[in-house]
Amino acid sequence: MKDISAGPLGKKKTWYQVFWRYRVLTLMCIPAILFFFFFSYMPMPGIWVAFVDYKYRKGVFGSPFVGLRNFEFLAQSGKLWTLTRNTILYNLAFIILGNLFAVFIAILLNEIQSRRFKKLSQTMMFLPYFISQVLVGILVFNLLNYDTGFVNEVLRALGKTPWQPYSSPGAWPVLMVIIYLWQQTGYNSVVYFASICGIDAEIIEAARVDGANAFQKIRYILLPMLKPTIVILLLFALGGIVKGNFGLFYNVIGQNPMLYDTTDIIETYVYRSTIADFNFSSASAVGLYQSIVGFVIVLCANGVIKKIEPDYSLF
Amino acid sequence: MKKVLAAFLITTMAASLAACGGQGGRTAPDGSGTETDAAVDGGAAASGDEAAAIDTSEHVVINYMVTGDPPEGEAKENLNRMMEELNGILTEKVNAELQIYYIPWTDWLANYNLTLAQMDGSVDLVGTASDWLDAWPNAKDGAFLELSENMLKTYAPKTWASVSPEHWELCKYNGEIYLMPEDNYAQWTNHGFIYRADWAKEAGLDEVKSWEDMTAYFAYVRKAYPDIMAWDSDGTAYGTLAGGWTASHSDFVAIDGITANALWGGTKSDPYTITVPQYDDTDMMVAFAKEMAKWDEMGVWSTDVLNKTTTANRDDYRIGKVAAEQHHTQTWTDLCSHTDNNKIYTDDSDAESGFFWFGEETGNVVRLSITHGAMAVSAASENPERALMVYDLIRNDPDCYRLFNYGIKGVSWDVNEDGLRITPEGYNPDTQNINGMTNYWWGRNDDLEIRDASRNWDVIEPMYEELDAAAIDYPYGQFVPDVDAIQAQINNVNEVYTNDMKLIAYGKFDDQGMTAEEAVQKLHDDLQKAGIETVTEELQRQFDELYK
Repeated sequence: MKDISAGPLGKKKTWYQVFWRYRVLTLMCIPAILFFFFFSYMPMPGIWVAFVDYKYRKGVFGSPFVGLRNFEFLAQSGKLWTLTRNTILYNLAFIILGNLFAVFIAILLNEIQSRRFKKLSQTMMFLPYFISQVLVGILVFNLLNYDTGFVNEVLRALGKTPWQPYSSPGAWPVLMVIIYLWQQTGYNSVVYFASICGIDAEIIEAARVDGANAFQKIRYILLPMLKPTIVILLLFALGGIVKGNFGLFYNVIGQNPMLYDTTDIIETYVYRSTIADFNFSSASAVGLYQSIVGFVIVLCANGVIKKIEPDYSLF
Repeated sequence: MKKVLAAFLITTMAASLAACGGQGGRTAPDGSGTETDAAVDGGAAASGDEAAAIDTSEHVVINYMVTGDPPEGEAKENLNRMMEELNGILTEKVNAELQIYYIPWTDWLANYNLTLAQMDGSVDLVGTASDWLDAWPNAKDGAFLELSENMLKTYAPKTWASVSPEHWELCKYNGEIYLMPEDNYAQWTNHGFIYRADWAKEAGLDEVKSWEDMTAYFAYVRKAYPDIMAWDSDGTAYGTLAGGWTASHSDFVAIDGITANALWGGTKSDPYTITVPQYDDTDMMVAFAKEMAKWDEMGVWSTDVLNKTTTANRDDYRIGKVAAEQHHTQTWTDLCSHTDNNKIYTDDSDAESGFFWFGEETGNVVRLSITHGAMAVSAASENPERALMVYDLIRNDPDCYRLFNYGIKGVSWDVNEDGLRITPEGYNPDTQNINGMTNYWWGRNDDLEIRDASRNWDVIEPMYEELDAAAIDYPYGQFVPDVDAIQAQINNVNEVYTNDMKLIAYGKFDDQGMTAEEAVQKLHDDLQKAGIETVTEELQRQFDELYK
C-alpha cells in the first residue's frame, strides 16, 4: 500500500488520484470485489443468529437475544477438548502430509520425460478428487467391512484372521489420512506442478551446465523456488485448521460410536447433536467459535512468518 | 485510503442489514398478523353458513408436503392421472388444485425441517406428527399457522365437526390450534418383532411371547437356515430395542416428542411422576445388555451393523431372505397378509408371520396419540384458507378421499361382492399403488375407508382385540414440554445416550473391553454428566404445573 500511495517525489497522493491512476487494475478487480461483498460481507450480520433464540417468523434480528446460551451445549458436553484436539490433529496431518506428498508428486511429475505417461499419471491421480465423499464412504465400507469386505475376503482366502477395523478406533487415524491423501494429493500437486513449470528454464539449464545432478537440481533449485507457494498454501490451510472435513468423516465413519474417540471432529459432533432439534442458533454458535479460533491461528502464523521472512507473509 | 475502507465497510454492513430486514418484512405478513386476522374476519362474516360467500374466484395451487420418495416413470404417470382427476373435482368445488411436494426419505427429518424453515410459501399443507415429525418444535418456532376456530368452522367445516372438542384440545399449544389430527383411524403403531411363525413352530415355540422366546427363535434360525440372515438391522434401532425391553420389563409409559429416544415418562401406576428407567434401573439394563450380546454373538445382525444406516430388511422379509423384521403392528398387518408383494406365501405354503409386541409380557401398551399423524398449514402459505378447504375435501369427501388414497376406481382398486377393497385384473403393485405415493397419513378416515380384502383379517382382528384389551390411552396428550431452557442438556443427553446405547443394544460393548455391568454403568454416568437430572427436574416442574 505504501509504495502505491506515495508518488515518485514522495508527495502523498489523494485516494482518487491513486484510484484514477490504477483505474484499469481496479476495474479488473471488480468481479472479485463484488463476489466477496455479496458472499462474504453481506451475510456477516447474520452471525447474530448465534446469540438469539431463533424463531422463523420473527427473523434473525427480531428473535429474542439470549447471550451466550447457544454456546453452552458445546461447553457442557465435556467433549470440546477431544473434538478440538481431533479436528486440529487430523487437519495438521492432512496439511503437512498433504503438502509434502503434493510437492513430492509434483517434482516426480516434472521429472517424467514421456509426455504421454506424464499426462496419464496426472489424470489418474486427479480422478479420485472428483469422487463424491458419499461414494468414498461406500467404497471404504466395501473394502473394509468384516462380513463381506474385500480385504477380509482376501484374508480369509489366505487363511488369516479377518480384521475388524469398524470396531478398532486405533486404526482410523492412519486410515483417514490414507484416504485423504489418496483423494486429494493429485489435486494439490497441480498447484505445485504449475509453479515448477513457471520456474525460468534458464536457471535449470545453467545448473545442468554446471554439472548439477537431478537431486541437486531438486534440492537447490526446485525446492527453494517452491518455498513461497508452500508457505502461502500452508497459511491458507491453517485458517481452516479447526474446520473439520465433514464430508469425509461423516461418510466414512457414519454413526458408529465405537470409533468416535479417535474420529469425532467438531463438525460431526455438532451435526449429530443439533440435527435432533434442528437448532440453527447452536450450529451457528459453533461455526463462530471455529471461525474465531481459525482467525487467531492465521494471525499468529502470519505474525511468526513475518518475523522470519517478511516477503512470504500474507499481510 | 482508510476513509475509503471505512466507508466501504459501513455501506456493506448497512446494505446487508437492509437485506435481512427486507427478508423479514417479506415473510412476516405471509403468515402471522394481518392476514390471519383478515381470514378470521372473513370467517366471522361467512360463518352464517354461507359458504358461497367465500371468495374463490382466483385459481390457486395448494402444495401438500409429505415425507416419501417421489414416484418415477410409469408410477409417476399413474399418479398424475389420478391427480388430474382429483384436481378436476377440486377446481370445480373450490377452484384450487393440489400438488405434492415430496421430502425424500434420505435425511428426511433434516430436509423436512429445513423446508419448513425456508418460509417462502413453497408449501401450504404440511403432513406432520408430534412424535416423529417435530410438530411441536415447529409450531413453537413459528412454522405453522395458528388455526382459529372461525377459520376451521368456515373453511374446514366437516373436519371441525368431526373432531371432538377434547381432541381439539390436544392439538393446542399456548391456547392455539396448530394441528388437525388423524383421530378417526384405527391403527396400532406399537413396535415389536415380526417373525416367521412357521419357523418358530419348527423351533418348538408355539408362539413368540417374550424376548427370551425371540432369542430361542433366532438361535434356531441361525442353526437351521444358515444362509438366511436373522435380521438385517441397520444401526438405528438401538432406541426402539431399548424402549421395547423397557416396555416388556416395567409399566413405563414414555412421553413422546422430547427427543427421538423417548427416555422420560411416567408409569401406569403413577403416571405423573417422571422416571427414566433406562437411567435408573441398572439391573434391568444389564439384563438387556447381556441378552443383546447373545444376539450379537449368534450373528443376528451383521458384524458392522453400526456402520449401516439403511438396509432392505423389509423387502428381504417379503421374499424370505431374512427371518424377522422389527417394526410396528401396522406393518405386520401388511407382512402377514397374502399380497402380491409378499412372495413368501406363494413360495412356501406353510409360511406364516407372527408378531411379538414389546410389552407383551407385562401387557404394557399405549394407544396411539391422535397427533401421530396430523395436518398443519404452513405459516408462510399464501392461501391458508384454500388449503383448509382442500384438506376438508380430501379428508371428508368420499370421492376425493378414495381418489387420493386408493387411486382411480377400476384401475388401482375395486370393490368385490363382499364390499371389500380389491385390486383389479392387471394391477401392478409397483406402479399403481397410489396409496404408497400420496402417503396420506394425516387425516385418514375410517368412515370412508373400505376394508382391504387382501389383508389377513383372520389373524389381524384377534391381534387388534388383544391389543385393545391391554392398551391404555396415551396419558400425556396435552403435555407440550417447553424445552428452551434445557435444550443444551437434552442435546447432550441424546448424544451420549445414542453412543452408549448403540454399544449396549447391539451387544458391541465387549469389543470395547467392557462387561455388561460396566457398559450400563458408563451409560448411567455419561447421562448424569450430560445433565439428565436437570432435565428430569424441569420436566417434573412442568408436569406439576399442568397436572396438579
